[in-house]
Amino acid sequence: MENEGRRKFLGVCVAGCTVAAAAAAGYPVLRYLAPRSGQGGAAKLVIPAGELKEGDAKFFEFAGSSAVLIKTNSGQLVALSAVCTHLGCIVQWVKEKQQFLCPCHGGQFSTDGTVLGGPPPRPLAKIPFTVTEGNITIG
Amino acid sequence: MLNRLYRWLDLRYGIGEIAEKELTGYLLPRNINEWYSLGSVLLVIFAIQVVTGMLLMIYYVPDADKAFKSVSFIMNEVPFGWFIRLCHAVGSNMMVAVLLLHMFSTLMMGSYKAPRELNWVTGFTLFALVQGISLTGYLAPWSQLSFWATTVATNSVSAIPVLGPTLVEFLRGGKLVGPATLGRFFALHAAVLPVVIAALIGAHLFFLKRTGISAPPFGKDETANPFEAREYHYQGHPGGIPFFPNYALQDLSSISIYFAVFLAVVFFWPNMPFTPDAFVPADPFKTPAHIKPEWYFLANYQTLKIFPSELLGLSVQAAAMTFLALLPFIDRSPERHPLKRPLFLTLVIAGILLWIALSVWGHLS
Repeated sequence: MENEGRRKFLGVCVAGCTVAAAAAAGYPVLRYLAPRSGQGGAAKLVIPAGELKEGDAKFFEFAGSSAVLIKTNSGQLVALSAVCTHLGCIVQWVKEKQQFLCPCHGGQFSTDGTVLGGPPPRPLAKIPFTVTEGNITIG
Repeated sequence: MLNRLYRWLDLRYGIGEIAEKELTGYLLPRNINEWYSLGSVLLVIFAIQVVTGMLLMIYYVPDADKAFKSVSFIMNEVPFGWFIRLCHAVGSNMMVAVLLLHMFSTLMMGSYKAPRELNWVTGFTLFALVQGISLTGYLAPWSQLSFWATTVATNSVSAIPVLGPTLVEFLRGGKLVGPATLGRFFALHAAVLPVVIAALIGAHLFFLKRTGISAPPFGKDETANPFEAREYHYQGHPGGIPFFPNYALQDLSSISIYFAVFLAVVFFWPNMPFTPDAFVPADPFKTPAHIKPEWYFLANYQTLKIFPSELLGLSVQAAAMTFLALLPFIDRSPERHPLKRPLFLTLVIAGILLWIALSVWGHLS
């Protein structure tokens, strides 16, 4: 009986040490593998308004993801996430039709991001921006 | 919960039977000693090398223009990158050191003798391959140390008559060490050699399982090798101690001691694997003074220097390596106790002293 108790105590000690060792080895590995902070790109981005003609779109990296700025034929500026809400492909701008098309599964979005057709469940996310002295500040 | 999982598996795959056969029913000689646990330590070291190597590959770039920068990035920018890299660099040194101890114990206890000739041959080949994987990995950081140590090491092959210069060029992928060398050395280091080493470890363990573990020649009156070449016979140890829990605990103790030494070097002697040239990017036009190989190549390096011709130096080393590799086929006496083999013991001690002396000489010269 005394041996049983000692065996159990030793077992608990070995298990405890194993867990502690696994945590001590696992923490550095997790930190090593974790995406580094500050790698997501700028939180604010300035684009000169003159760079964009009416009916054109400009794709850029914003906050670690892909975004697009368009100037509609009517001269209205819109900034949207370029990531399709279906399965994460990057939408393409179809200038002739003035709409976005996702080449992966045919999702279509209007200039304000609304779903026009295809499988996307949600509209493209809007990104805030301001226009001051001929510069468009995204974010 | 664990019991239910065990029962579920046992009903389907009979894991209880395997555990009984390989763990509690696997009997080892009663006079087994600590030296027998070095194989388990080596398996752990190899596993650590594989894991840390995979982790390093996430950030390391095997391109001559980017390799040094990527290693500096790992060391200075990536969280715990220094730790992963030091584990890999120190681990490679430790693997050679523990391998030497493992081979030393096998020599002293005469465990290489029949029927275990191939256990020795695969083990000795593993030793050569571990040196090869260390050498090819040495170039990876693309530092002055890596570059010039590789230049010197590959250059020694040129001493081989007729084929030498062609072999060196083939090895380097060009006339001199350069980006092509890094490409082929990296492929050898990270893809070819690990697979070959893993396969040979498999063969080594297969031979061990089929012959059965040898009994140490100590603490018994009869120390001669009991093997008789008549028919296949597994050397069991009836009445011996079970591998689990008895010897598993010894393995665990040895592995813990190894970790204590290994981590002490990683944390308190982090510059052990490096010289100042390891922190300078490779410059093919600037040879640093006093470039030296790793400690385990110092004896080879000094041997090459003391002979008047490089070919002679290489031939002596090749002869010594061949002699050691084929030892079980040369030393066929059944006696295994070192004190009952005075000539053998003298040769082993003289060989070790010579190796140490050459290494120290190589270090100081």
